[in-house]
Amino acid sequence: MNLRLLLAATLALTTVLASAQTAKYTATPGSKLRMDGTSTIHDWNAETSLVGGSLEWDGGFDKAPKAGKVAGAKVEATILVRALKSSGKSSMDAVMHEAMKAEQHSKITYKLTELSLKEAPKTATDAMAFDSKGDITVAGVTKPLAMPITVTRDGDKLKIAGKATLKMTDHGITPPAPSLGLGLIKTGDEVKIAFDWVTKKAQ
Amino acid sequence: MNDLPDISPLDSSSPSDLNRREFLQGGTVASLMALLGGIPLVAPAAEKPPEGATSYKTTTPPVNCGVIGLGVHGREILATLARLPNAPVVAICDYYPAFLNRSKELAPKATPYADYKQLLADKNVKAVVIATPTHQHKQIVIDALVAGKHVYCEAPLAHTVEDTKAIAAAAKKAPKLYFQAGLQERSDAQRLFVLPFIRSGGIGTFGDIRAQTSKKQSWRRDSPNPDRLKEINWRLNSKLSTGLVGELGIHSLDVACWFINERPKAVTGFGSIRQWKDGRDVADNVRAVFEFPSGITLCYDGSLLSSYDTNFEVYTGADATIMVRDFKAWMFKEADAPLLGWEVYARKDEFYRQEGIALVAGASKATATADADPIAAGFTPLYHGLAAFVTNADMHHAAVEDFTSSFGKDADPAALLDYLKDIQKSKKPHADAQEGLEATVFALRANEAIKANRRVEIAKADYEVA
Repeated sequence: MNLRLLLAATLALTTVLASAQTAKYTATPGSKLRMDGTSTIHDWNAETSLVGGSLEWDGGFDKAPKAGKVAGAKVEATILVRALKSSGKSSMDAVMHEAMKAEQHSKITYKLTELSLKEAPKTATDAMAFDSKGDITVAGVTKPLAMPITVTRDGDKLKIAGKATLKMTDHGITPPAPSLGLGLIKTGDEVKIAFDWVTKKAQ
Repeated sequence: MNDLPDISPLDSSSPSDLNRREFLQGGTVASLMALLGGIPLVAPAAEKPPEGATSYKTTTPPVNCGVIGLGVHGREILATLARLPNAPVVAICDYYPAFLNRSKELAPKATPYADYKQLLADKNVKAVVIATPTHQHKQIVIDALVAGKHVYCEAPLAHTVEDTKAIAAAAKKAPKLYFQAGLQERSDAQRLFVLPFIRSGGIGTFGDIRAQTSKKQSWRRDSPNPDRLKEINWRLNSKLSTGLVGELGIHSLDVACWFINERPKAVTGFGSIRQWKDGRDVADNVRAVFEFPSGITLCYDGSLLSSYDTNFEVYTGADATIMVRDFKAWMFKEADAPLLGWEVYARKDEFYRQEGIALVAGASKATATADADPIAAGFTPLYHGLAAFVTNADMHHAAVEDFTSSFGKDADPAALLDYLKDIQKSKKPHADAQEGLEATVFALRANEAIKANRRVEIAKADYEVA
């Protein structure tokens, strides 16, 4: 009984300590996310500078990053579908938003499940390479997503960069084949995503 | 002009004053052009979707609109909004009960208001279209922006340079709200199609520009009530009226300045009352010559005396001349001009001893040769202008909301401005507050020149918000 209590107390204490030592970063303006796709006529892309959400990890890791699995790593990022603007005409935006079922699923969300640092940085400003595992939800369909990411520290900001390839059909999206201007345009299933996400240390 | 008799016969037989917004009978222009001979430049019409296409609604979410000012043009705005899929009119306002009554048919679901302040207090209204007489715009625009409404303000923005600047300043001070000036030709598919022909230098060495708005019409409105009579005839009162160049010419002049990407630096005006000697002190026959920094000149003629050749803009070049009128444009090539290639297939119209090549927006070989009439189908510049307003207002609102939801309420306001600037390119083409200010200012300066029969310089500072 006593042992159980002690264990529970220790666990509780550890949690409190850990949370007290958690370093949290929240999204701040300056980000960029770009989607690149193909079509039968020409390649297309869409961009947004709105990437919301937050990142947190163990306070100790924040001060002195060590290689290996990052303790207390938590990332939630959000992209608003309607904020994605295509390189083409605005009618293309409407097609893209509708294909992604923006009315029912206004957000693309990403949730980290595991983060590990490949190698401890030599200086405080060195870029840190990580392997990440997480889940991405597009058009209401969640799929696991593993990708390498790079984190650079810049004062009280963290710049998180990464690339991934998604398939529209994985998320129940029919690749749009809109009839605009020149006739039928069939888009390819694969979409490449590249992002530079800027977060700022929460006070 | 002031020594003219005070009272004159009313011209109640003249057609209702639709001005530049007049719905041209499709056949009239087409047959006139056929008589004169020209190659039409026409925007392409939508084609039947090919097999295997996925279909999308591609309409943006609805934006609840209120319309303030329900005269002839206000009611045309109501009729046009009714045809848009995303512009429900939820409130209408005019202090003149007869106008309010006449508008109920066009907007049966709208709440009627006699006081515009009550309309602005209506939380259901997200965007307002202001179509009152020009001199009433300023206060309504300022109040609407304070009330948090997106604003479409008819052109000219105001009847004085001071009021115009106050409107532009209010719009700039409210970056979270969308403001559009009622220069609807900026959103018009046909003009957007002709723009690159002019800008690319495709017509060779640029000569000059001629623009005309001609109609036979008194501009006088009738009313059994003497007070009302004075009020509705504000166009005939030089203290309130911006004259033919302001009320009609501004649209052609704005398009010309937009096409050549310049603002006039001086204007010389001439004007007289020749036909409608009914006590008015506003000229019914005007000419204004604008000078541009590059040396180009623009000659504008406005008439209420003759409808000959109606409305047009002509851009003269050493290789080709382009004529834009209503929903069409034609290119008249010089014999020694280089072959462009596509014009071989384009529809040709015969003008007087001239062959015009049609410049048809969005035309394929098939559609360019068809005599499609987007105006008869209702796709007027006003339709395009209001469609842009509703879509852009929604996009603007969404952008502000999305930015706040991504970065919180305390996020850097400068970053929000950057973001709004970023999404500007995704918006449908339109005239913003600055463009509305510039067009209004040069039209007002031209009216001044016409009234005084002299040359008026337009200072750079005139075009800047105080």
